[in-house]
Amino acid sequence: MADIGGSGIGNTRYPYYYGPEGRLLLVDSALEAVGRGSTTIGIKTSTFALISSHIKPTKPLVEASEKIFAIDGHVGATGSGYIGDILQLIDEMRIAAQKYRFTYDSPIDIKSLARQLSSYLHDFTIYAVRPQAASIIIAGRDPAGVQLYQVDPSGTYFSGSGFAIGQYSDTAIDIVQKEYTEDITIAQAVQLSDRAIEKALGEKPLVERGLVTAKDATFEKMVNS
Amino acid sequence: MTTIVGIRTKEGVVLGSDRRASKGFFIGSKITQKITKIDDTLAVAIAGQLSDADYMVKLVKAERNLIELRRGFPVTVKESARLIANQAYTGLKNYQPYFVELLVGGVDQEGGQIFVADMSGAITSEEFASSGSGSPIAYGVLESIYHKDMTNEQAKEIATKAVAAAMERDPGSGNGIDVLTIPNLSLVVKERRR
Repeated sequence: MADIGGSGIGNTRYPYYYGPEGRLLLVDSALEAVGRGSTTIGIKTSTFALISSHIKPTKPLVEASEKIFAIDGHVGATGSGYIGDILQLIDEMRIAAQKYRFTYDSPIDIKSLARQLSSYLHDFTIYAVRPQAASIIIAGRDPAGVQLYQVDPSGTYFSGSGFAIGQYSDTAIDIVQKEYTEDITIAQAVQLSDRAIEKALGEKPLVERGLVTAKDATFEKMVNS
Repeated sequence: MTTIVGIRTKEGVVLGSDRRASKGFFIGSKITQKITKIDDTLAVAIAGQLSDADYMVKLVKAERNLIELRRGFPVTVKESARLIANQAYTGLKNYQPYFVELLVGGVDQEGGQIFVADMSGAITSEEFASSGSGSPIAYGVLESIYHKDMTNEQAKEIATKAVAAAMERDPGSGNGIDVLTIPNLSLVVKERRR
């Protein structure tokens, strides 16, 4: 077999094995694809969590695909990467949320949801298959409070107050980090995320947003203003 | 055992039930809830094995939520009844039937609707219906005083009368009456949220 990267036995190399530096080529490639996805941001304080995602312009007669998704009444998510993969992961989460309700008669907590998604993604990293090229940001509210999670194609998940994924996410997260305070208002957070996306792309972008607050504990897509 | 009734009106639907759960010739519970709300627009009245019915209700709840999230608009009453019937039919064909007869009552764009879903997987749309051991007696009352274009308030009265009559003569029914009214969508909150 030809040398196609990664290491195997003797001269034969498989892309789904560890590379010589101990990296997984396919997972790295998936992350690379996420890095080319639309700029997507999550901001959380103790009173709310906001997710917003840039919508790439389409042909005039084509509707842009939806980027903010309700997972259950109290939780929503967005993502960056291949939209087909994102949609698949969104559906996995919706099913997980309903299964949790079925089993425990209560809404799924956000950590369990992130963990389930992580486990689903992780499965794709241990077999000779293509990992999902999508990172997901989850915003929700559970008895432990407002939650914000990021889950990556490797199965890694983080909880935090500010995330940026997709194209120019380094620039975007810089801006969010600089101006974030724990007492930021929802309006300020909307502005901040808009500014971060705008700065990253260098143009006035179309953005879709979703919000969950500690007070009413329901996830809602925000109407574009 | 049990008496449950469902009535369709011009304003929505009304479900009624007794509160007795029998264990053979013994009264197992005197405060059983036989009407389960699935959400603000749909409810189910249960006759038969409570565990089976509960399982089905939970399944429909999950399916309804999932379908609505995926397609972006609510599941109709008919679709919900179909979900229950499909489950019952699968159970029957696998020799593990769900021992239930359910009255599915709810409101959607079409107005109020009552469906009867039994363990065979059959569903029928009805203007009024009853099920359980007390149903022949309840039907006697319903047949004699039901009429179309009733208000929910009138239907509530008739449902109560029907269940009360059954409780008088059917040893499997008793210990009080529960009634649930679901008003048509225009009268209920505009946006539905869990």
